[in-house]
Amino acid sequence: MIKEKPQEDILVVENIHTYIGQFHILEGVSVTVPKGSITVLLGRNGAGKTTTLKSILGLTPPREGKVIFDGMEIQGKRAFNVASLGIGYVPEHRAIFRSLSVMENLKLAERKKGDFNRHADFIFTLFPDLKRLYKLPGNHLSGGQQQMLAVARALVPDNKLLLIDEPSEGLAPILIQQMMDAIRSLSEKTTILLVEQNFIMASQLAQRFTIIDDGQSVHEGLMENLVNDEEMIHQYLGASIKTRKELEMEHEAKK
Amino acid sequence: MKLKNNKLIKISMWVVVVLAVIAGLYLYAGKEPFIRTTLSGLTLGSLFFMVAAGLTLIFGLMDVLNFAHGAMFMLGSYMGWQLYTNPTFIFGLLPTILAFTTGIMMAPVIKPFLIRWDIKENIANILPKLAYFFAVVLLVLGFIGLDILDLADTAMVAATTTTVGNPLAEISPQEPLNVFWYRPVLLLLSGLLVAFASSKPGDKTEFAPQEKIMEKLAVPLGLLVFTIIATFIRESAPEAILLMNGNWRFVISMIVAVAFGFLFGAVIEITLIRPLYERAFFIVLMTLGLSFVIREMVQLLWDPLAYQMVRPPLFAQSGKAANLMEWLNNGNATIDISGVTFPTYRLFVIVLGFAMFIFITVLMTKTRLGMIIRAGVQDPQMVEALGINVKRVFTFVFALGVAMAALGGIGAGPFLPIQPEMGDQYQMQGFITVVIGGMGSYVGAFIGAIILGMGRAFGDYFALKLSLSPAIAEASTVIIMIIVLLIRPQGLFGKKE
Repeated sequence: MIKEKPQEDILVVENIHTYIGQFHILEGVSVTVPKGSITVLLGRNGAGKTTTLKSILGLTPPREGKVIFDGMEIQGKRAFNVASLGIGYVPEHRAIFRSLSVMENLKLAERKKGDFNRHADFIFTLFPDLKRLYKLPGNHLSGGQQQMLAVARALVPDNKLLLIDEPSEGLAPILIQQMMDAIRSLSEKTTILLVEQNFIMASQLAQRFTIIDDGQSVHEGLMENLVNDEEMIHQYLGASIKTRKELEMEHEAKK
Repeated sequence: MKLKNNKLIKISMWVVVVLAVIAGLYLYAGKEPFIRTTLSGLTLGSLFFMVAAGLTLIFGLMDVLNFAHGAMFMLGSYMGWQLYTNPTFIFGLLPTILAFTTGIMMAPVIKPFLIRWDIKENIANILPKLAYFFAVVLLVLGFIGLDILDLADTAMVAATTTTVGNPLAEISPQEPLNVFWYRPVLLLLSGLLVAFASSKPGDKTEFAPQEKIMEKLAVPLGLLVFTIIATFIRESAPEAILLMNGNWRFVISMIVAVAFGFLFGAVIEITLIRPLYERAFFIVLMTLGLSFVIREMVQLLWDPLAYQMVRPPLFAQSGKAANLMEWLNNGNATIDISGVTFPTYRLFVIVLGFAMFIFITVLMTKTRLGMIIRAGVQDPQMVEALGINVKRVFTFVFALGVAMAALGGIGAGPFLPIQPEMGDQYQMQGFITVVIGGMGSYVGAFIGAIILGMGRAFGDYFALKLSLSPAIAEASTVIIMIIVLLIRPQGLFGKKE
């Protein structure tokens, strides 16, 4: 049992409202991310998880509400300014630069000269594959390798917070395990805000969760409390997501 | 593996087809006509490339179709030609422009302080408007009484008199310094007001860190020094330049054209295109309108006449050089290339086009900026999310594209008549080049430009030889485009959507 001790919040999102075109996508989302933790955003498809990440970063700036990062209000700032404060972003769908080589993808993420060289060893220990593929263009990489590159790219500069969007999407089970290990060892160095549909992965990684439903944040708390709350899981995350108990039962049935 | 093989077969098929066409033309035309026509084709291709390179870079990164590109090509030509024949126009205006820019460049320095200024909201709303108003007033006051037409006017002589014997014949009289001095001062103040207004004083939502102020101060201070120098050399510099060796003068006029194109492009992107990125169609209309405005301005300044620019001495002496060394020593107008007499200036245009291609290739593949541009073509949002100011990259690429068009303009100056419409044809060819090469690909633009240039040149050759209508050469462009688009709708080097 993790004791909830008073700790500094690196990111506080207060009741943000975001519009895309004329659509009111986020209608009041609040998220708190304590320093050094992994927090996961849960919710159905289209609930507004990705938009929340983009709103924090300033890619889809919120019209109302506050985003406080490291004690500074950052809502309304341009995305490149926000990122330069120390936020790394791993977008969904493996959005690496396909026309650039692996090396160029990594070097592009440098904010100061030498960023990559300082972290190269760490990156290549996490993802040994990338060392082998170093010179290949991005479009020659498999889906899993692209996803690893997308995460690695966020590790090049010194980031205080990583926003990671669906790292397990479309990955083979063995790669999911590798990705989980990587994210876990990342969380020792930095704080992570994760969006993850794979509830098993989310529940094993994250200490905290926030549920977003229909553009609103409806619940937040400790992950261990959620895992046992089948009712809440079914209400907000849909029947498709299986709780740990159900999985254990299935597992035993197979035996 | 199978996919790779298919690609290899396809590429080798293309190589065979191209070689076969070249061999066929060579055998049919014979050696000398073949070489002559090929060189003409390369000259045209180089010019097409200089226009198309900017178009394709700008379209690739920002999805902007710049319909003022031909007008910018033409402006480059006029600016270079002005410096070459009558630099008073440029030097007479330089102090005012530099002073204004110095003022504007103070914005990043004063912004961090202004936005933290504690003023009431209604005052914060009205202050920028007032500042803009007075900036315009000062701008007008700064230029009132300055006869810009007169500064440009004397260049008219170029069409009628020769400057041999008296190189200073065309120089325009300028105001003495004790009358002129207040103009740069007023414009500096006007620029400062614009900087003040654009920093949005009292606006707490703006973001500007209060660090590295000294570093940011370096740019405006440097510009201020340049302004002061420009104010003092205003009268002596034009004479010094006109007394210079013509070759160096031509080098300077190319630099001036490029610098002008770069600054002009940057100003256009920031003031006119940036507010319209959300509405792509408006950009098309805006650039089209801009091309008319530029053309009318040029007609106002220099009258709708066609001027002939004198070739620099390196390409002007009569007689034929037997080889490269002899040409460089004597500056002959023509050179012997394996039995073919070819104008040396056209050779220079070919070199200029290839040099530009090499420059772009190095820029795109070897530099960080090139990396950012290639990444931005695919996903500008993600580049921004990495902490890179994409807007600034957009401005740079647009400015670079216009600078290349301007360099093409001054490059074409000595062998095309300089007139307000000179860019139109090249803009059309440039667009077709971009379509053939594949939107956004600079390699495609290069190959496409050479194909179109060759089509033009060989079209002319066949029209003459087979006594066909000369229109066949002009039609070749469209015929090539149709064939390419039928085989590869995305263009030779384009990516499938």
